[in-house]
Amino acid sequence: MIKVEQLTFAYPNGMPVLENLSFEIKSGEFVALIGQNGAGKTTLLKQFNGLLKPTGGTVRIDGIDTRNSTTGILAQKVGFLFQNPDHQIFLPTVAQEIGFGPANLGCSREEIDRRVREAAAQVGLEPYLNENPLFLSKGQRQRVAFASLLSMRPQVMVLDEPTTGQDYREGIEIMEMVKALHRQGHTVIFVTHDMELVARYAERVIVLSQGRILMDDTCRRVFYQPDVLRRTNLFPPQIPTLVQKFDCYQEDFGTPLSVEELYATITGCGGEEYVHCS
Amino acid sequence: MPPLPAAEEKSMSIVANYLNRDSVIHRLHPLTKLFWSLWVMGLSFLFSDLWSLAALFFSVVAIAAMARMLREMVPVFKGLFFFALFFWAFQVLLIAEGRPLLTLIPGNPGLRITDRGVFIATAMGFRLMVIASSFPVLLATTQMKDLVVVLVEKLKIPYSYAFMFITSLRFIPTFMNEMEQIIQAQCSRAHRLDSRNFVTRFFSICPLAIPLLITSVKKAERMAISMETRGFGIGKRTYLHRYDFNRVDWLVSFGLVLTVIGAVMINLTGMWN
Amino acid sequence: MKPVISIEQLSFTYAGSEHPAISEISVTVKPGEFIGITGPAGAGKSTLILCLNGIIPHFQHGEYRGRVRIDGVETLTMHCAEISRKVGSVFQDPEAQIVASTVEDEIAFGLENFGVEPDVIEARITDALQRIGIEGLRHRSTTELSGGQKQRVAIAAAVALRPEILVLDEPTSELDPLGTKEVFEVLKQLNREYGLTIIVVEQKINILLEYIERLWVMNGGRLVADEPPRRIVNQPELLTDVGLQIPPVSELMYRLKAAGYYSGELPLTVDEAYWALLKCRGGKR
Repeated sequence: MIKVEQLTFAYPNGMPVLENLSFEIKSGEFVALIGQNGAGKTTLLKQFNGLLKPTGGTVRIDGIDTRNSTTGILAQKVGFLFQNPDHQIFLPTVAQEIGFGPANLGCSREEIDRRVREAAAQVGLEPYLNENPLFLSKGQRQRVAFASLLSMRPQVMVLDEPTTGQDYREGIEIMEMVKALHRQGHTVIFVTHDMELVARYAERVIVLSQGRILMDDTCRRVFYQPDVLRRTNLFPPQIPTLVQKFDCYQEDFGTPLSVEELYATITGCGGEEYVHCS
Repeated sequence: MPPLPAAEEKSMSIVANYLNRDSVIHRLHPLTKLFWSLWVMGLSFLFSDLWSLAALFFSVVAIAAMARMLREMVPVFKGLFFFALFFWAFQVLLIAEGRPLLTLIPGNPGLRITDRGVFIATAMGFRLMVIASSFPVLLATTQMKDLVVVLVEKLKIPYSYAFMFITSLRFIPTFMNEMEQIIQAQCSRAHRLDSRNFVTRFFSICPLAIPLLITSVKKAERMAISMETRGFGIGKRTYLHRYDFNRVDWLVSFGLVLTVIGAVMINLTGMWN
Repeated sequence: MKPVISIEQLSFTYAGSEHPAISEISVTVKPGEFIGITGPAGAGKSTLILCLNGIIPHFQHGEYRGRVRIDGVETLTMHCAEISRKVGSVFQDPEAQIVASTVEDEIAFGLENFGVEPDVIEARITDALQRIGIEGLRHRSTTELSGGQKQRVAIAAAVALRPEILVLDEPTSELDPLGTKEVFEVLKQLNREYGLTIIVVEQKINILLEYIERLWVMNGGRLVADEPPRRIVNQPELLTDVGLQIPPVSELMYRLKAAGYYSGELPLTVDEAYWALLKCRGGKR
């Protein structure tokens, strides 16, 4: 779906922010992009819908070189959810806001209505369609922004810190919606600083450090190589960190990511077994 | 330090920013430098002949060199030069008196270049460069906050006005950055900025202007709260940095005043014309 | 010990709103306490902070009932300048609370407003930078700092006014994990070494429970729990009821304890969980 080859990017008269990146993201993957502030995560995300174009190498979306396309056209393939919904909300009703994208794509009035209803349903905003988005809560405004990208029916979802500034429940709700879309076959790429969220949702993790890829592997393998993570000032989630403290005792907990997994290993190595065999 | 976003870099060069150097000029009192830039402007209006204006311009260049920032000021001078050139091309055709040097369209007396025209247009070009170059030099050698202190303390401008001015400058990069984010967010929703039709072009600004307005108001509100909790505007305030108007400053200011008086006298007696 | 803050039956409804943002809050704070506030969005956390630093009722209009006393004096009767000398504030958006273009001037800003003599300002700046451990940033431009650095500068600016209490409203929400840790380390230092009373609103429960001594859980404008972290992890429902979670390692040991595999204290951090898990094994053997 996304093919990046020797991508290099620098802002005009600046140091390169991304240096010689090559990787591929297949259709239907769930990828987390992690790294310290300033590692180039957002800059990389913006390459995927042509907001930024490579200064060296190529980025191909579904075979299309982003340099030969525009963000407006790519928007139908790649939907981009920004960190702050207030950077885009400007219309007086939620319905109009969600319909802005399809209207720009030149859809008919009926088509726009259909898409607005569909997108609102996907994020649970149907009761609010006639409200003014400015008077909704921050979590709801983030959903309006999310619906306004879904209404353009992109295959790929790119999410830049989708849970920042929201409480735990709102954050989980957004991620659950994303997960549901992923199950329907959408490709998801998201950036976050919350490693617990990464462990819970991502299948693949790309670790970025100073514009280079430090690691690109399954979530489990990335979080069980903490020395590499530490070099970029990231800390694995609590459960992998805890398990890795036991290394010197040769304890075999496997490589759990969640409380459930570790609990099952401890009790389920069949509860008794843990007590007896140790 | 992470690289600055593109918007931030651009805005940095628009606002002539302070260049931290140690030089004779930097050490002068902000008020002296303010006097100087007003002096430059004043003189440029008093004189209208080419040689004095050229000399005045090169004195500004010399001051920039004394401040050890000639290299950084080159783009400013260059930009001004092209602007002045453009202006010159206009002017030179408008002045008909004097001995013709060149006629653009043979037989048409309207479009010709005269010796006097060249002389006057060049002088005007220099005047333009003089007027526009002294402020960048002032701002590059004096920190904005120091200027504000001087405006408030010596020239008795109310602090809140001076503060508003300095803070709006401080927030330009922030708002440029916000604008960049907004443009990108709307482009991601297939919004197009490059419409040919004037009316649609006007309306295409709304998706950018409204979020900018709303986020700016929010930012301003937050800033106001933060300022309240730090005692803004509760009474007479002090300033961390104070500058003494010392002997060099008096000397320079005295010199500036003398030259102005001299220039006025010369002008009145009509010695140059 | 005499309380440094006492809140009695405090309610506040913003002008134009029908529902109170906070209602009937009564609580006291002893000098030197390190308190965390958490709760879902719209629980009234920020409103409570604004009541502590005097923005409510002095600048924010609405219906105000009850009392907030700082050092025994009611904030309603104090001049807001007096309040701001006792209560330092740090907010969420690092961009919007920095007004000056260099770190030194930023820290001087409050002191200048209060008319402190320049040589005293000088000494206070040096002292504040030292306390926060950012002496190296003194002459830096504020626009080139990282988020974590900006927030520490904001803390230094508040500390320079020598408040007895420091209130912070989600100071780490825009920071990465490293920046978040930097901020909490500074708060711990200020609390331990200088006895500063600290009240911090925070969503990141894992790091919050590691640092604070007392947690206030808010929901729907009310204070629904006021417990030390140790007690909070023993009663996860205090958090789960309002849509929050205890840290994963605490949850693990809680469940092991409930299932009879463990009988000791519940851990708050990964380190504690390590020892608990070892003990758990030893106890069973």
